[in-house]
Amino acid sequence: MAITAPAPPATPPLKGVQPLRAEGNSFLWRRLHSLTGIVPIGAFLIEHIVSNFEVVNGPLAYAQQVKFLNGLPLVRVLEWGLIFIPLLYHALYGVFIAVRGRSNVNVYPWAGNWMYLSQRVTGLIAFAYILYHVLTQRFMGVSLPEHPGLAYAKVQFELLSHWYAIPVYVIAMIATCWHFAYGIWLFAAKWGITPGNVARRRFGWVCTIGGAALCIMGLVSIFAVAYSRPYSPDDVMPAQYNNVVAPTVPPQQ
Amino acid sequence: MAAATPRIIVVGGGLAGLSAVIKIAEAGGKVDLFSIVPVKRSHSVCAQGGINSAKNLKGEGDTPFKHFDDTIYGGDFLANQTPVKAMCEQGPAIIDLLDRMGVPFNRTPEGLLDFRRFGGTLYHRTAFAGATTGQQLLYALDEQVRRFESEGKVQKYEGWEFLSAILDTNGACRGIVAMNLRSMELKTFPADAIIICTGGNGAIFGKSTNSVVCTGSAQSALYQQGAFYANGEFIQVHPTAIPGEDKLRLMSESARGEGGRVWVPKDRNDKRQPNSIPETERWYFLEEWYPKYGNLVPRDVATRAIHKVVYEHGMGLDGQPMVYLDVSHLPPERQHKLEGILEIYEKFVGDDPRKVPMKIFPGMHYTMGGLWVDFNQMTNIPGVFAAGEADYSIHGANRLGANSLLSCIYGGFVAGPKAMEYAKGLAPQQGDGGHAAELIRQQQYNNILLNNQGTENPFQIWRELGDTMTRHATIIRYNAGLREADQKIVELIERYKKINLSDKSQWANTSFAFARQLYNMLQLARVIVQGAELRDESRGAHYKPDFPDRNDEKFLKTTKAVYDDNSDAPKFEWEDVDISHIKPRPRRYDATA
Amino acid sequence: MPTTIEVEIKRQNGPDGSGAVENFSIPYRPNMNITSLLGEIALNPVTKEGKATTPITYDSNCLEEICGSCAMLINGKARMACSSLVDKMLEEGGGKIKLAPLSKFPVVRDLAVDRSVLFENLKKVKAWVPIDGTYDLGPGPKQAPQIQEQRYPLSNCISCTICMEVCPQFNDVTNFVGAATIGQAKLFNMDPSGSVLKEERLRALSGDGGVQECGFAQNCVQACPKGLPLTEAISDIGRDVFVQKVKDFFRA
Repeated sequence: MAITAPAPPATPPLKGVQPLRAEGNSFLWRRLHSLTGIVPIGAFLIEHIVSNFEVVNGPLAYAQQVKFLNGLPLVRVLEWGLIFIPLLYHALYGVFIAVRGRSNVNVYPWAGNWMYLSQRVTGLIAFAYILYHVLTQRFMGVSLPEHPGLAYAKVQFELLSHWYAIPVYVIAMIATCWHFAYGIWLFAAKWGITPGNVARRRFGWVCTIGGAALCIMGLVSIFAVAYSRPYSPDDVMPAQYNNVVAPTVPPQQ
Repeated sequence: MAAATPRIIVVGGGLAGLSAVIKIAEAGGKVDLFSIVPVKRSHSVCAQGGINSAKNLKGEGDTPFKHFDDTIYGGDFLANQTPVKAMCEQGPAIIDLLDRMGVPFNRTPEGLLDFRRFGGTLYHRTAFAGATTGQQLLYALDEQVRRFESEGKVQKYEGWEFLSAILDTNGACRGIVAMNLRSMELKTFPADAIIICTGGNGAIFGKSTNSVVCTGSAQSALYQQGAFYANGEFIQVHPTAIPGEDKLRLMSESARGEGGRVWVPKDRNDKRQPNSIPETERWYFLEEWYPKYGNLVPRDVATRAIHKVVYEHGMGLDGQPMVYLDVSHLPPERQHKLEGILEIYEKFVGDDPRKVPMKIFPGMHYTMGGLWVDFNQMTNIPGVFAAGEADYSIHGANRLGANSLLSCIYGGFVAGPKAMEYAKGLAPQQGDGGHAAELIRQQQYNNILLNNQGTENPFQIWRELGDTMTRHATIIRYNAGLREADQKIVELIERYKKINLSDKSQWANTSFAFARQLYNMLQLARVIVQGAELRDESRGAHYKPDFPDRNDEKFLKTTKAVYDDNSDAPKFEWEDVDISHIKPRPRRYDATA
Repeated sequence: MPTTIEVEIKRQNGPDGSGAVENFSIPYRPNMNITSLLGEIALNPVTKEGKATTPITYDSNCLEEICGSCAMLINGKARMACSSLVDKMLEEGGGKIKLAPLSKFPVVRDLAVDRSVLFENLKKVKAWVPIDGTYDLGPGPKQAPQIQEQRYPLSNCISCTICMEVCPQFNDVTNFVGAATIGQAKLFNMDPSGSVLKEERLRALSGDGGVQECGFAQNCVQACPKGLPLTEAISDIGRDVFVQKVKDFFRA
């Protein structure tokens, strides 16, 4: 009788979290998510807030800025390729990341852990807001690419037409800048640009100051456009007719 | 059966066990490694100060022979000299190997290995990785074994406990019975040879510096199966341990190796904070009594000195059994080398030892005795090998600091290949080699334990055993006390038979596993106290005030205990010690010459 | 000073058993730690209500925070039972101590959990130096003390898995590998001989559940009982994995 049965596996199949299998492309997708947050989305965010800051110089200056941007070559390609598609990817993959985390700040109320949660919360706020913002400001109402002179009026109307509009914009501005600033910090940490504690702390200050500056510019713009002058539905840059004639053939010498 | 690929079982995954596994796997053998805990959590992880080897990288003219001489002298000439000499000669190669395995040993500015001083020698001979050298060494070997495991050369059985060897009709080992500590299932495993690397038996003393698994259960089980247990009475009490509620936490000798000093206030009623007591009002008794070695006298000497200061001079701190171990005067870079142990003190006591002296007292630390082995590390049971703290070789009557890690690795490195050699020459087993019978014996034992209807709690019996052993069989021994202890153990064995387990379930039942170990602890405890009683001399760690001198004429002998079935008690015989290289001389650390 | 210690322990008979809570009232002594408390229960396994019960199953070995066995939730937080002092825990818990098993690992019984996933992961990242053999080949390569100073802290990892337990990303959806393994990968990549396997380690950490899953909550580094520089390791490995991926892309 064979009492000495062959040895069973010392480790039965694991339950719970599984070990590494060295397969799948999540590294690529995750890094792409991280990268798109910086370029192009982050870069666009800076551009957008800086451009909008033109509102402090009045409707005409703002209109000229809008016109300038819409006059860039291949502007629709740029808009979709560098803004909408990356933004949508960043947003959707971000939601995917957020739902897979198990936040535990209730047990471990540490600064980094709060920031982890904040990045997810601000990301979701920003996503909801941007969806609304792009729909109403880009695809609904008067089309600004064709009528840049109405840009100021459109934004002012948006902010003043509902009691909740300004609070929403303020919250969204803070959330977005927060998400962006901490996102840059995370980018540097995760990509190994700031591995050391000291480097991370220093860079934290850079991100805080940069993010705060951006946020303040955005908030100033919001209040400037809403309250600095009475609402006027006039087009400050009425349709320009193409009556500018191309130069004639230069005089022959 | 004993075919081209011998099948070896290694029991215990500390330094000795892992060393043996590596050698066998490397030589193409098949190894099953059994361990109660995941091997990375073995007790070797607790070793702190370092590992000795005469690399002579400090320009002191150190040699393996001087290391050999220090070890023999430190062990009070009780160790067989041939294996000790071999170990010391292999020391430098073993350090080099560990270095190659990536052990983060401390370095000199030139990038070479750094060495510190340790007790019982005047040379800088101890390589170290901070103050967690054992941990670093264990991890290095664990990683090598993990590599073999992932290559399919080693099968690990973590969470299995060795219960007994399977002996065939000729008395040769053919495998083991082990218990799965989760499913509590008993199983036999075939092997051509087994290597026992199960460490020391600190748990017999209740509180010690040892880990929870260091019960000596496997050694005792083999002793009850006929293996000699040698020099059981030699128990090292480490001079500097942190007294604790659940255990005594080691405060490494490296604290003194880096310049730490032991003292008490000269005035026993001195109520001042230790730091405000001026140098002149402190009594550095070790430095006064042993000017040449100072704080770095061997452990048995330091332990007795502290004991004397506390109990004979009545100079313990606040009347408590404690003295100061002071590293607060050391420069920060020296303290940094001790970071690991200073953190332990800070965590468990709450004071910062970088600023205030530590309060310490001796604690049971190391088992010099163990399974008797020949120079090939084989016990008297054919096919059963032993290595590391579980065997009795190398350290004699007292182990020098930082020699244990070396002896464990050396022992494993000898036992592995020798077990292979033995297995290759082994005749095929007859029938089932005794597997069925041994399994039934162990199952019956389990059934008795589970169905007992008494009133005794195993943990209570253990506590009483520990108190008895610590009182009578540690630093100071009297024959009357040892006899009393033996009687107490006999009483505890009787009470053991009335154990009623509060947990009779068959899943991860730790108290059941403990109850099994406890029986073996009780049996081994008798070997210790009876061996101590019979040795009427003082040698190394074994000290009897009634017989204060070493007596080479009568006792330059290895004590060998044999279990006697009929009387359920040990019987003793004595064997001459191999003194083929160094002639015994008086051991005097107080001499200045 | 209290005369008794009130302890609430979450118990579970086996992997599939349902949890139940038992309360104990243990005589107070100064300087106790959580493991000595569990020892007291084994000595007298009776609940506060006077009901006979069984000793608590839990992992422990060295009792000096170096073997990594006794990690559990104490007052809800992952800690080592041996180095958690009762006085401190009582104060924190408002006069009561709560014990529970780690929440991210399969329970074996009571406070004992199965943490073998870590050891499996150490195999996956080949956390070893592939030496040629154990025969005498002379000393290893010279190493500047500065390198040793960097390697040693990482080598202090006791595999307690607390860094994994506290990590919001370590769960059975992400199958994130956790900080401990990443730290060990860095340790061996830094070793002069161990670095020969660097590329394999980095590739192992670039698959699903790899280093990218880290959300940089930095709980690991806060909770690690041995103070390992884990976030630094994650950062460094994150960079190295990226560089490796780029290299592999252009080489393929």
